[in-house]
Amino acid sequence: MAHIEINKNEFEELIGTGIKDQQLEEEASYLGVHWNHVEGVKWDVEVYPNRPDLLSVEGLARAYSRFFGEETGLKEYDVGKGSFTLEIDESVKDVRPEIGAAVVRNVELDERAINGLIQLQEKIHETMGRRRDKLAIGLHDLSELSEPFTYRAVQPEKVSFTPLEYDREMDLGEIVDEHEKGQEYAWILEEDEKYPIIEDSQGKVLSFPPIINNQLTEVDSGTTDIFIDVTGKDRETVEKALNILSAAIADRGGKLETVEVNEITLPDLSPEETSIKLEYLNSVSGLNLSMDEAIELLEEMGYGAEKNDGSIDVEVPAYRTDVMHDYDLIEDVVIAYGYNDVEPEIPEIAQIGEENENEQFSKVLREALIGAGALETHTFTLSSTEKLFDNMEIDERPHASMSNALTEDYQVVRSWMTPSLMEVLRENRHHSYPQSFFEVGEVAEMPSGENKKKLSFVTAGDMDYNDARKILQVLENALGLKLVLEKDYFEYGKKKRSATIKYDGQELGWICEFNNSVTENWGLDVEVAGFEIDIEKLKEFH
Amino acid sequence: MKLSQQAKTVFERVKDSEQIRYEALEDQGFDQSMIARAGKELEGKGLVEIIVDEEVAYTLTKKGKTVMREGSPEFRLVEILEDGPKTFSEINIPADIAVGKAREKDWIEIDDGEIHLTEQGNFVDEDEVLQQLKNEEFGPDLVDRGLIERITETAKTLKLTEKGKQVKLGNIEEQFNVSAEASMPQIGRKHFYKEVIDYARDQWREMGFEEMQGDFVVSSFLNFDALYTPQDHPARELHDTFFMDRPGEADISKFVDSGNDRVEHVRQTHENGWTTGSTGWGYDWSRDEAKRNVLRTHTTSVSAQKLSELDEKDLPAKFFTVSRNFRNETVDRTHLAEFYQTDGIVVGEDLSFKNLKGYLTKFFEKMGYDEVRLIPSYYPYTEMSVEIQVYDDEEDEWMGLGGAGMFRPEVVKPLIGKEVSVLAWGLGVGRIAAGAAGIEDIRELYRNDKKLLEKTPTWRPE
Repeated sequence: MAHIEINKNEFEELIGTGIKDQQLEEEASYLGVHWNHVEGVKWDVEVYPNRPDLLSVEGLARAYSRFFGEETGLKEYDVGKGSFTLEIDESVKDVRPEIGAAVVRNVELDERAINGLIQLQEKIHETMGRRRDKLAIGLHDLSELSEPFTYRAVQPEKVSFTPLEYDREMDLGEIVDEHEKGQEYAWILEEDEKYPIIEDSQGKVLSFPPIINNQLTEVDSGTTDIFIDVTGKDRETVEKALNILSAAIADRGGKLETVEVNEITLPDLSPEETSIKLEYLNSVSGLNLSMDEAIELLEEMGYGAEKNDGSIDVEVPAYRTDVMHDYDLIEDVVIAYGYNDVEPEIPEIAQIGEENENEQFSKVLREALIGAGALETHTFTLSSTEKLFDNMEIDERPHASMSNALTEDYQVVRSWMTPSLMEVLRENRHHSYPQSFFEVGEVAEMPSGENKKKLSFVTAGDMDYNDARKILQVLENALGLKLVLEKDYFEYGKKKRSATIKYDGQELGWICEFNNSVTENWGLDVEVAGFEIDIEKLKEFH
Repeated sequence: MKLSQQAKTVFERVKDSEQIRYEALEDQGFDQSMIARAGKELEGKGLVEIIVDEEVAYTLTKKGKTVMREGSPEFRLVEILEDGPKTFSEINIPADIAVGKAREKDWIEIDDGEIHLTEQGNFVDEDEVLQQLKNEEFGPDLVDRGLIERITETAKTLKLTEKGKQVKLGNIEEQFNVSAEASMPQIGRKHFYKEVIDYARDQWREMGFEEMQGDFVVSSFLNFDALYTPQDHPARELHDTFFMDRPGEADISKFVDSGNDRVEHVRQTHENGWTTGSTGWGYDWSRDEAKRNVLRTHTTSVSAQKLSELDEKDLPAKFFTVSRNFRNETVDRTHLAEFYQTDGIVVGEDLSFKNLKGYLTKFFEKMGYDEVRLIPSYYPYTEMSVEIQVYDDEEDEWMGLGGAGMFRPEVVKPLIGKEVSVLAWGLGVGRIAAGAAGIEDIRELYRNDKKLLEKTPTWRPE
């Protein structure tokens, strides 16, 4: 989730009315935006990734002036016809093919407003822009520039300008290698031989997207006319971001003007038209709204809405990126209605509850073991090869492993249960003996990595094979079957005190008194015995 | 002189051997807390003295064992560099620690991508770290490097005083204390976390839900794509999700039936909305990305699996699971790499948001939370996305316990083959369990301390 910093005074000025702190704390989140008071007029606002239009104080004021206030319906934007043209050269096709642009004139920007715009730009880069890969935004002071503009790709060493934060000219290659922003975003251009630039008719470079702008066009408090560029890889994303930026600056009182981008006129702030059936809206929401009520709620969320027989014609604001389906409109209607004003109702569905069979069978085993005096444990599924194999004195066996684990302790999914219980014994070294633990848990079985349920039991203290054997007997009695134990040899068990557990010729697990080398590996200086059984196989015989 | 029965028994043992360690008494079957009380009583009467010793023990960690076997990384680096400077890729040992340590010790310099020995480095002829480990000279720097682990244990001993020596056992009158605590017997018991989990499972069943289960290792297709999460969504980036090395790829052809090619439909839905009435995300969907195996990040993948198995004639139907999920997090007192979630779905015609609220309210009421509120939230796979908060009386605050919503048609139609309503949720249960056991550090939920297992009261909703 993206966080932005908001000055409450600025928010109130844009809304045109005072808002109590308490209202922001208690009610603002019912629009799906969380307000946390930092101090004084400073608020931290959390916005979900589906609403980049709310990443600015202007966007928030637009939404809340309707949600809290008197405003209602679609906010319309006048876009005057501008004289600017921007030509997209073929050369950018394989680099960063899309660009959108707009002009805003007569803007009055104080430092607060400029910081807000920079914040909006940065947050859109991080979220919608996928760290500038999918889109990048540039804002420029128009006064130094002359039309028409060109967007083209060039050899890095052929073009130079003075980037922001530097006081000398650098070519594009130098910027990527040396400039802080160049280093940060070089990965986006990694595969490209040519780099994109936007330049004016005099050959002045405005911007080297998605890296950095020219110092020449930096926006400051003296700026009145702004040129916005948005470059990226996907037409729709680029236009949506342009709409969000244009609307925010226009909300500041700026006058929007169009730019001809390869004969397409941008920004296009006309709403998208769709329609929704009232009946569908009511059946999904469970509300029983009249046509007028539904229209009123849509308007409260900033949509244009008009009755058309049993349907509502809806105008979706051009800055909304998240309306993909009728469901999205319904959500907004229910948000306006108030999630907490919806009466809960459990429908009548005749169905008998049912427990998973493996769980049901596990319960029989768990209860038998608890009755036999063993404590049930609850351990991590994630483990390491050291625990699963080295400590148990066996060679590595097939197991599911992760490629990007952060911690050494959690590199693999366990392929058997007993090492988890050995760890429990290690954690309990300081407590008195005897100790008996068991767990029914999941392991991942190769080659598919699918889950299998296994049962492991360990008992420690002055213990031998028989102390594990008798607990296995408790299970045999509970299930009413006799298991076959065949003397066997495996690395972690003591010779002559290790056996394979079988039934009907099928191998189900093993039982043993553990080798002292194993107990030592786990830091234990007591005797330990135990067993492990595949309970999904065992269940087949029960 | 009067003594309690327990103190007298312990006193007998002390008299036998002049002094005895608490641990030895525990081995003889005395309960820890009983020994502590008896010791205090005897000390109060001047019969014994309690001696407290700190014992420090060291054990080699895995890293330490590697150094014992192969030598310290910095020394190995010096050995490698003896025949001349090398680049990073020419060193066939893990470079980061070796280079870091050797630099710290001024043994090497890095110049133009090559590692050189310094003058000092040329004179290194003994692996000090290895020697220290071999000679068991366990200094704090070895602990800091994680080569050894330092374990401190306090040991208490009861020692007979002069007075204690003189007092004859026969002269002690035994005071029978009916309220004295008895020793703890060896017991078997359900784990306190499983109590909460099993209780939650019972509640869903009572509400007529059928239990579903799924695998931990699942395809990205199931965990993300089928849940309408775009392939460039930040949640799919490395830092949140465990990606599998082995098995690295899943067979997603199992989602293709003769009547319904779910993989193809998911592709089209992402790209252009398919026939769901949606615009889709508008990008080129990659099948290879969908095949990548992950450890499931939410039990919602189990719900997606169930939807893909459902037949129209099975509807309406209700399913639940209470199971583990995984997040690639650094573990600390408030974060774990594994956590439980209870997911549920109700599938059928004519289900609404009202019904979703009905089930959620009822479940939390059964879990002991009477006040539930819903806050708008966002998930790519639900619309009417809500965060569920319950009012925690003890903490006197609202507590977030999970998310819910109605699955978007973009999720439902490709999986089932037609548009029906699906109510869905994924709720946390770990916080309830931690609260029940009075645990501040959530790692304790998985540590299985014997005393905690024995003493934590069995959870029931308040």
